[in-house]
Amino acid sequence: MKTNFRNSLKAGSVFGLVTIFLVLIGFTGTAASLIGKVVNLDSITRGLGLTFAMSNLMMFLGLMGILAGTSGGRKVMGEIDSWRSVLLRATLTGFIHGIMLAILVYLVGSLNAAGIKMSAYLPQLLPDAILQLLYGRSPIQAALFHLIFMTVMGLLGGLLVRGVGRGSWRTVFARRWDGYLSEFRQRPNIQKVMANPLSRYFFYGSIILVILVLPLVVGQYWNYTLGTIGIYVLLGLGLNIVVGLAGLLDLGYVAFFAIGAYTTALLTAPEPQHLLWSFWITVPIGVMLAAIAGILLGIPVLRMRGDYLAIVTLGFGQIIGILLKSDVLTAFTGGPKGVSNVGGPTLFGKPFSSDVDFVYLILLAVLLIIFVTNRLQNSRVGRAWEAMREDETVARAMGINLLKTKLMAFAIGAAFAGLGGVLFASRNQFTGPEDHNLMVSINVLCLVIVGGMGSIPGVIAGAFVLKGLPEVLRELENYRVLAFGALLVVMMIMRPAGLIPSSRRKLDVISQKITTLDRPDPDTERNSS
Amino acid sequence: MPKNNLIHTYRRLSTYQIAQIILGALFGGYLVWRFYDLFIAHPIYGPETWVQFALAGVILGSVYAIIAIGYTLVYGILFMINFAHGDIMMIGSFGGYFVFEALKVIPAATPSNPQLKFLDAYPVISIILAFAVGMSVAAMSGYFLEKIAYRPLRGAPRLVPLISAIGASIFLENAGQLLFGAQRRDYANPAVLTRGSGWNIPVGTGNVVLTYTGVLTFVLSVLIMIGLYLVVKRTRLGRAMRAVAENKPVAALMGIDVDGVISKTFIISGALAGAAGVMWGIHLGLVYYFVGFVPGIKAFTAAVLGGIGNIPGAMLGGLFLGIVEALGPAVLGLDFQLKDVIAFGILVLVLIFRPTGILGEVLSEDKV
Repeated sequence: MKTNFRNSLKAGSVFGLVTIFLVLIGFTGTAASLIGKVVNLDSITRGLGLTFAMSNLMMFLGLMGILAGTSGGRKVMGEIDSWRSVLLRATLTGFIHGIMLAILVYLVGSLNAAGIKMSAYLPQLLPDAILQLLYGRSPIQAALFHLIFMTVMGLLGGLLVRGVGRGSWRTVFARRWDGYLSEFRQRPNIQKVMANPLSRYFFYGSIILVILVLPLVVGQYWNYTLGTIGIYVLLGLGLNIVVGLAGLLDLGYVAFFAIGAYTTALLTAPEPQHLLWSFWITVPIGVMLAAIAGILLGIPVLRMRGDYLAIVTLGFGQIIGILLKSDVLTAFTGGPKGVSNVGGPTLFGKPFSSDVDFVYLILLAVLLIIFVTNRLQNSRVGRAWEAMREDETVARAMGINLLKTKLMAFAIGAAFAGLGGVLFASRNQFTGPEDHNLMVSINVLCLVIVGGMGSIPGVIAGAFVLKGLPEVLRELENYRVLAFGALLVVMMIMRPAGLIPSSRRKLDVISQKITTLDRPDPDTERNSS
Repeated sequence: MPKNNLIHTYRRLSTYQIAQIILGALFGGYLVWRFYDLFIAHPIYGPETWVQFALAGVILGSVYAIIAIGYTLVYGILFMINFAHGDIMMIGSFGGYFVFEALKVIPAATPSNPQLKFLDAYPVISIILAFAVGMSVAAMSGYFLEKIAYRPLRGAPRLVPLISAIGASIFLENAGQLLFGAQRRDYANPAVLTRGSGWNIPVGTGNVVLTYTGVLTFVLSVLIMIGLYLVVKRTRLGRAMRAVAENKPVAALMGIDVDGVISKTFIISGALAGAAGVMWGIHLGLVYYFVGFVPGIKAFTAAVLGGIGNIPGAMLGGLFLGIVEALGPAVLGLDFQLKDVIAFGILVLVLIFRPTGILGEVLSEDKV
């Protein structure tokens, strides 16, 4: 019986690298303290001479070990799936995982013992963290312990994977979730309920009710977050028109956001212009100015597609950002310090003072924009956008005026961003160059894509995931942007159509076979650019 | 009726052309006036200042050129913008930094100087080591980046790999911040390469400093460019790369391992980014997690300037961008904070008026 160990070698070294990486970025410590809040094995581990933190760390590392074991022991094509083979492969994976961790622990421990301060270079390796990693023993003892522990955990993982199921967890989860969902939808009584318009009204009504009540129940901090999510929904819906519907990839979207924000800020703030206009007047002005800027950007880039368009708009966004940050425009825009004391709206003589008021205002704007987007999407121009996205030449042959349609997309997308900017500046009572950097553009693009391009519920879901979820996971604050980057990559690989894909997009992306040798075939090439 | 067609085309183009000519003439006139003003009417800067600016531009431009080649190689083969390229440069820069930091503490005492460390005792070996480590670390990151983030997306719509690249870029930047901390670190050069020291060359009434680090950077980049050009034009791998860039299925039919070639392309482009990162550290003296971002975007500009997918174009574009960036603020009479605006302004203008770049791109025009 020949067992192929290549997969275990690979899984072992991958997991070894991941674990080392997690140790070096200090994630193990954070995860251990999170585990400590849930599970408490203090009474057992105290007898072994471990502190509370150490036992939690051990649990986390054990988890990693089990994962490595399941990954190394899972069924491989053309492999014999016997107990012996699976356990051997899993144990080998654990052993390699253990060796890598042991080398790290030994190196770190002995360097620390030699008196070299590693935290000067790797700031997470503070003496306390090293002590935890060594479980308070000498480096060589700790390294041996880690090696044995990881091997045992790998074996455990192998037992688990052989006992629970065969095949890779990825396919199992991905297939089953969609399968259950469609099965659920196809049940006769469910279909009857779904066909009834009343149930739809009930569904949307209850969502709106929850959103209406929510700001009153949650505290100030959460209201602030809800407001931010709302503003990002606005931005996302705007970019959704440009990217999702019209298929024009715009990386300088933040420029329009900045134009809206600065319009309100400069017109209402006492410094540097001292105009002190009313907020309500600045709303249409900001939106108009953003739309005009959208058209002005749109005219020169009319003939471009795809990546080139992305780069030009990126350059445009960067130029606006640098101009705002530099001292050149200080007299006009406040320069690097930004504009503070931006005026807020008043309604019937009552100023909007709390975050709750602003949440309702933003909510109103979001509902309005959702309505507008929904109408636009199914209108003549919306269909023209989609036609243009699919194929410019054919769209033109069908009598669509590309010039008008493209400029329309740019202008409307920019107008939404301008509205978002107006609300943003007014709510924060401040706006500065740091609020309008490239990351905003990228965040908005990502929320559109994570949510599902061209789909309104997708944009809302994306905003909640990208702006709301990190607030929930406060504990992991340092790691959220890291996780966000990784999430984007994983998302593109596993679910490229987004969380809630638009029906057309879904057909488009999912039906595509991903082959290794093909250049994208002409159809897809045109779709995406 | 070809004649009608011709007239039609002529009319349509002429609007653009008139606009271009008018804008170009205005800009040209402004430039001429600025030159007259700067050199004849009110010479604010002496010749030594101009030479100093130009030198700085050439040196910076050569680094941009090296990074730009990495973009161009990948774009030429996969038609995707490797957004994380600048972050690979950051990784390479850190590789060199750690080599220098380690060699700084290794003793190499001589009888005359018992305090001497390896870094100052054997500067050539130290620099070679730094480049070797920086380039190999970056090459490895490039390889794994392609394998993890791009390979599963082969054949997907073009937006999908771009987003994946943006994600990878965000991930690498934050990993760098978490691993090495957010503070800016000084690159510890060997004593012979102390920053700012160099040959003093008298120009006009003053002196121009030709720094050692600058000379090293420039000479190394030129060597790397020549080497790369030879690799692409003369070797089997280079021929395979060109074939894959031309047509993947046909290349595969000719017996070329397409995936292998793509992997090797990423390794080469990563190594180039790593070399650029070490140069950046040695010459400009700073390394931190965000160090690759701005050079990355500018190098992309350079690649587009020269015509993307075109290796000599990337070299030319890099040098051009460096020089324009160094001289631009003075020539145009702008604030020096706005040098990035000039870089991006050029990018936007080139893409609008000559989207195929200075030398023209290798790809067909309908991609634009």
